[in-house]
Amino acid sequence: MDIQNTQSQMRKGVLEFCILSIIQQGEVYPSDIVEQMKAANLHILEGTLYPLLTRLKNAGLLNYRWVESISCPPRKYFVMTEEGQKAYEVLQKTWNEMTTSVDAIITPKANPIVHQADTAQ
Amino acid sequence: MTMKKVININFQGRILPIEEMAYENLKQYIESLRTYFDLEEGKDEIINDIECRVAELCEDRLKKGAVCISEEDIDLIITSIGRPADFEAQDGFEANTSTNTENNQAQDHTQNASGQTYQKRLYRDEQNKVLGGVCSGIANYLNLDPIIIRILWILLFGISFFAYLLLWIAVPSTSVKEVGGIRKRLFRDLDKKVIGGVCAGMSKYFGVKVGVIRILFLLPTILLIFNWNHFHLFQFWEFNDFNNFFDVTFMPGAIFVYIVLWLVLPEARTSADKLEMVGEKVDINSIKNTIQTDMEGFSKRAQSWGGPFEKKQTSPAANTNTNTSSANTNNTNSGAGGLDQRKGCFHYFGRTITILMKAFVYFILGIITISILAALFGVGVATTGLLPLKKFILEDGLQSWAFIGTILFFIWVPVIGIVTAIIRKIAGYKNSNIWVRSSFIALWVLGWVCLFYFISSVGNSFSKHNQPVEKSVALVNPSVDYLEVTASPKMKYYEQRWFNIEPFQVYNDDTVRVRNLKIRIVQSKTDSFDIKYVTMSNGKSISEANLLAEKINFSLLQQDSTLFLDRGIAITNKDKFRNQHVIMTIAVPVGKRFKITNKGWSQTTINMNHRGIRTETINDFGDDTWVDEWNENWDNESFSYDRGVEYRMTVDGLEKIKSDFDKSNYDNDDNNDNESIDEMEEQLQKLKKDREDLEQNLEKTRAQKIQELEKIDRALEEKKAEKNGVKQNTSDIKKKQQIAVQTPSRLNKVAAVAKKAEELHLLVQRFTY
Repeated sequence: MDIQNTQSQMRKGVLEFCILSIIQQGEVYPSDIVEQMKAANLHILEGTLYPLLTRLKNAGLLNYRWVESISCPPRKYFVMTEEGQKAYEVLQKTWNEMTTSVDAIITPKANPIVHQADTAQ
Repeated sequence: MTMKKVININFQGRILPIEEMAYENLKQYIESLRTYFDLEEGKDEIINDIECRVAELCEDRLKKGAVCISEEDIDLIITSIGRPADFEAQDGFEANTSTNTENNQAQDHTQNASGQTYQKRLYRDEQNKVLGGVCSGIANYLNLDPIIIRILWILLFGISFFAYLLLWIAVPSTSVKEVGGIRKRLFRDLDKKVIGGVCAGMSKYFGVKVGVIRILFLLPTILLIFNWNHFHLFQFWEFNDFNNFFDVTFMPGAIFVYIVLWLVLPEARTSADKLEMVGEKVDINSIKNTIQTDMEGFSKRAQSWGGPFEKKQTSPAANTNTNTSSANTNNTNSGAGGLDQRKGCFHYFGRTITILMKAFVYFILGIITISILAALFGVGVATTGLLPLKKFILEDGLQSWAFIGTILFFIWVPVIGIVTAIIRKIAGYKNSNIWVRSSFIALWVLGWVCLFYFISSVGNSFSKHNQPVEKSVALVNPSVDYLEVTASPKMKYYEQRWFNIEPFQVYNDDTVRVRNLKIRIVQSKTDSFDIKYVTMSNGKSISEANLLAEKINFSLLQQDSTLFLDRGIAITNKDKFRNQHVIMTIAVPVGKRFKITNKGWSQTTINMNHRGIRTETINDFGDDTWVDEWNENWDNESFSYDRGVEYRMTVDGLEKIKSDFDKSNYDNDDNNDNESIDEMEEQLQKLKKDREDLEQNLEKTRAQKIQELEKIDRALEEKKAEKNGVKQNTSDIKKKQQIAVQTPSRLNKVAAVAKKAEELHLLVQRFTY
């Protein structure tokens, strides 16, 4: 089995959810997303983030706004659309369910079947 | 010190002072992104966003106090945003776990370093180049000193010049892989494949439409369908037309090329591969960029060579430079500038020896491989060409299949395998497919099985010999004085020259003719010509051989003094060729003449091809006439003879009368001989005279000398008496000695002349004899 492949699959699965949840907290600039994720020890390349954001935007989950500033040209800030909000809620629900289930599975105490199997061995 | 040109660019609405090299790198990077996101829906938007971000990061740097955007800055920015190859590897994002960072580092290594990576690929080494960097690239690849490759290259100049150009074009440069991570490689494009994706990959590589490549490959097949009447499949038997094997009109050639490419080229699996498949754009900027890199590399080289004792100052920028150059300079440092010079010397000496040995071994191995390849290829072409004759030799069923199997698996499979392996090795595609390799081996083993079965079964088919029965032929007029034996002047207009391998001659679809006839000449007991013949054949069993020998239909036709023989033994595809041959015995009565002609075997060939109908008459077959060289005295009874020579049978044997072969030449030769003999005799006479003269002279001179000596002696005695002639005495002695010396030398001369004369005499005797 290709461990690395599985790893990247797992990460890929939660990637969009993470990004959506960051944007859901308020209007953000893409590099802020990278920073926030980095702070959570999740590294993402900007080169992969931008296409992802564009995809989400084209799917109608995100929207963006040009923010003018004095010192530099306008920046693109991303915000959640209503549709995105709904999608995020669905994803969050799924995530919560999944964490509970996975926790239940990987914690030996809470799982009598595994326990039995262990003792049987 | 380094001087770098800084230019101002307007990038996403920002004015940025940037080093020219950095600008080129940035441009290439953006270009690589553009290619990567080519299929993405919002491609322009993504690129725009990333450009914005890059501009912003650049501005940050300037705000922090940098004078301009340097190459390192751009490198850092690019690394933080990520190269297309990184996106591919981590499609998504990465956690800061240990495995992943390692992974990433490994990735960076393969991208930036050439010397340290384990993945060995053939590159042109731009840093150590003389012309195009091919030699130093090969040297790097083989871990040899470039000078050795260069010397070998120069030695083999004639052959290698073309190869050099080819490699220059084909092998990617080291400078290509430094920037942006794009280089062009041939891949099989699986997205657009029909069979193996070869055509699609090639179209990507050469930047032409797929259809064009496909048509080029299909053209032979199309031609085959429309032109099959004029299709000269086996034209390559004729030497000049050998190239036809790779001609577009030859379909197997195109198929061969396709199969090899299919096996050689890796498939474009990942997006990075797909990117490489398209490669970088060759425009003025990329060329300029390459040259600039070279120049920089050159100045660095100059620095490091100038100060061999100094430790090399590696600026951060130098890290992007290939490690090969630094490794090289390190070597020279240790070699030339070591503290212990003698030790360094020995080290260098040892290294040279190893390198030479290595080169030698590689050379030998290369030659062996290539000769095996050439031999197999030759045999392959030959046997494939023999396929249409198969039905005349081989039994249907297993034997035929074994033959086809042998050709395919025993010969062509290894040829394709070796070619593939060589190309893969040269091009540096490392990941060899275990399935491909094992199936190659399996097929080859199958080839061996086929070969053994084929040989044993064919051997069996030829194993037995028939019991010869002598048959007499009644001649119409056996009492002629002179008999000329020649071939019947039959001309079948459908005899085609395109398949004219001796001893076979295609007669029609079901029949071939074998020119397998031996003519014996014996003395006749009676006073008339008598002809007998024996038909011989091999076969699986004696009865089969007998049957085949029986079936040989050999006819003679006498017209006056000319005896026409059949042009060959007909062999049908039912009876097969089992070495059928005829031995004809002509009994010639004493006193009568005969001739086995050389001429008269003329054959008119009508060639039908796209150029029209062409007739060609060949009068002389030279040594290939179907009457075999059976002129040795191969038993006690028969006589040896030459073709085209008229003989008379005598009681003692054959007497040569005249030859129509080079008659005039012979005459000339004879004249020459006579002339030379006359000349020699004249010379001999002259020499004899000379000799006599000399001998007479000698006698005279001898007498004179003796007189002189006596005079001197007398004078000496007189002088002795006078007792004061010591000086004179010595001088006289000298004179005497001189004379004494002169005489024998003259004698020698005379002797030499005499010897010469004798030799000449002997020669003359021999000639006259």
